[in-house]
Amino acid sequence: MKFHATILIELKEGILDPQGRAVEGVLKGLNYKVEQVRVGRVLEMELEAPSEPEAKETALSIAKALANPVMEVYALEALKELV
Amino acid sequence: MKIAVIVFPGSNCDRDTQWALERTGLGADLVWHTEGNLEGYSAVFLPGGFSYGDYLRAGALAKFSPVMAEVKRLAERGYPVVGICNGFQALTEAGLLPGALLANTNLHYTCKDVFVRVERDDLPFTSAYRQGQVLRIPMAHGEGRYYTDDETLHRLEQNRQIVFRYVEQQGQGGNPNGSLADIAGIVNERGNVLGMMPHPERAVEEVLGSVDGGGLFESLKRTLEIVA
Repeated sequence: MKFHATILIELKEGILDPQGRAVEGVLKGLNYKVEQVRVGRVLEMELEAPSEPEAKETALSIAKALANPVMEVYALEALKELV
Repeated sequence: MKIAVIVFPGSNCDRDTQWALERTGLGADLVWHTEGNLEGYSAVFLPGGFSYGDYLRAGALAKFSPVMAEVKRLAERGYPVVGICNGFQALTEAGLLPGALLANTNLHYTCKDVFVRVERDDLPFTSAYRQGQVLRIPMAHGEGRYYTDDETLHRLEQNRQIVFRYVEQQGQGGNPNGSLADIAGIVNERGNVLGMMPHPERAVEEVLGSVDGGGLFESLKRTLEIVA
């Protein structure tokens, strides 16, 4: 079975995110009323697995390998079977 | 006595590091990152640069290179391991040093001379300096803001693992990137794995503007001569 996974990796709460700040400054300059803008990363991939639970496990182990636990958190945002 | 300077795709301070070692009288080989065996080397350097284009995060993909398992093994056996700039980032990503290097607070890639104070002179990398000595060494990075949680920072202070700190000198210098506790370089608890953001290999000759980085290579030479 083939799956499409979407992994989100972002800085932990409380860690200064200068990219988010820069984006926030620009958005405010465009008159958007926004606060607490944070910039993260999305990884998309297709993967093979015998079942959905196993696909989930694989995707999470990939997310864990790629995120840095000192400063980041990760989540499996979406997983869907490809037909 | 030979030193391995690891070359990742995107390393660009490998030859400068080799040069700095060789002019100190230490033999140094450039070793490609797919190498799985570092037998016969007395110490390892992870040089500066942009391993894997800094993709994902600076130093993040280098930790999956085959040679890193071997670097880990040597580190565990007490061999001196030094990571400079991107090498420091790779050492933290690989878990050989605590903490992480984040984007500079001002988001600028900054290339300039900084002043760092030597916090201890009892390490294989600092014995040629004296504690409190201030060095003028260039930095060149966009992700050098040292970060760790409070508990780890406390442990670093307690164990005297902070080796170099950014300082101001006659109104110049200071903390260039927002690093926690002005940290420019740390060692592991055992004291054989060093990571630092500034580039000592770029300050080993008068023509380069400073010779203050030479002490690091000299220290290592003294240490290895005693061991040998």
